[in-house]
Amino acid sequence: MNTVPTSAEAPLVCWNCHERTLGTVFCSSCGKLLELPQGIDYFALFEMPRRLWIDMSSLEQKFLQLSWKLHPDNFVNASEQERELSLERSSELNDAYRTLREPVARVEYLLAIEGERKEGEKKQQALPELLEEVFELNESLDELREAKASGADLAGLKARLEAAAKSFQEKLGDVDGKLQAAAHEWDAALGGERATRERIMGRLNELLNRRSYIRNLVANVAKELAEV
Amino acid sequence: MAYSDKVVDHYNNPRNVGSLPKSDPDVGTGLVGAPECGDVMKLQMKINPETQVIEEAKFKTFGCGSAIASSSLATEWVKGKTVDEALAIKNTDIVRELSLPPVKIHCSVLAEDAIKAAIGDWKKKHGVELPAAEKASH
Repeated sequence: MNTVPTSAEAPLVCWNCHERTLGTVFCSSCGKLLELPQGIDYFALFEMPRRLWIDMSSLEQKFLQLSWKLHPDNFVNASEQERELSLERSSELNDAYRTLREPVARVEYLLAIEGERKEGEKKQQALPELLEEVFELNESLDELREAKASGADLAGLKARLEAAAKSFQEKLGDVDGKLQAAAHEWDAALGGERATRERIMGRLNELLNRRSYIRNLVANVAKELAEV
Repeated sequence: MAYSDKVVDHYNNPRNVGSLPKSDPDVGTGLVGAPECGDVMKLQMKINPETQVIEEAKFKTFGCGSAIASSSLATEWVKGKTVDEALAIKNTDIVRELSLPPVKIHCSVLAEDAIKAAIGDWKKKHGVELPAAEKASH
């Protein structure tokens, strides 16, 4: 289990002066731009705890501060190593900001760094009930497609597609609401018992899986509607 | 990304699309999904309890072309095979046959899972316990 890394915990040694440094961006001894600390995650990069509810304006502010500090323009006359570091760290910072800014991407990222959702290692398993439901919803959408192909009652078809779109949209709203509730639970349990946190992560993972299916349905029905 | 000719062929002319009666004791149903891409795949087989030969196979897949081709190919392959022969089909066989690119390998995994799930369901109906090794696939 990774504990929340903070700049104070990670013993950083400057690549240039080889002194231990207190900074995470610039060396506290020689002032050079530092390498990205090993194992630092996006939350730590922004010096934030691993919370799911993030104050957007402070995230943005922090992003602007950091990107100003790291910007390649500041290093035009610096050594090659510093120029490269500036590029590397700027690009990492942009990835981090894009990820934390989006609520769903943020949850996915959190589950990845907490070990709940690792690509390839732990295959995503959907619950049987979810698969059944998704399969049925897809079949109903398929029936509508077939009706369209046969050219039957277009007005009636459109109404049915619109009803399906509304119902999928509601399901998406429902799953997003549940994700938000689970995110609150996660934040409340931060620093609490491992078992509780694991239970919440399992729940978040389930909801993300559900969301990915529903999102596809929403997109597919929208595509059909556009063509009616 | 271009699909291989075989994928396009299975996509345009999917074999054995449809369903079998789920409650038939000789029919095994496997319903699997890949939440990352939102694919869902149903594979059904009618298995002769005497000979353990798969006499009929049907599928329905909601997903990308590779997922449809993988499950279409799977139904073609399992037909006429015994349960044990069908269980020996590996996702890598499907990858090779369809020339799936690395990003689509999970589609073949899904098809292999569906075969195992359908046979597992049939065995359960017949009171045959799966060996632990098969249960813990992947």
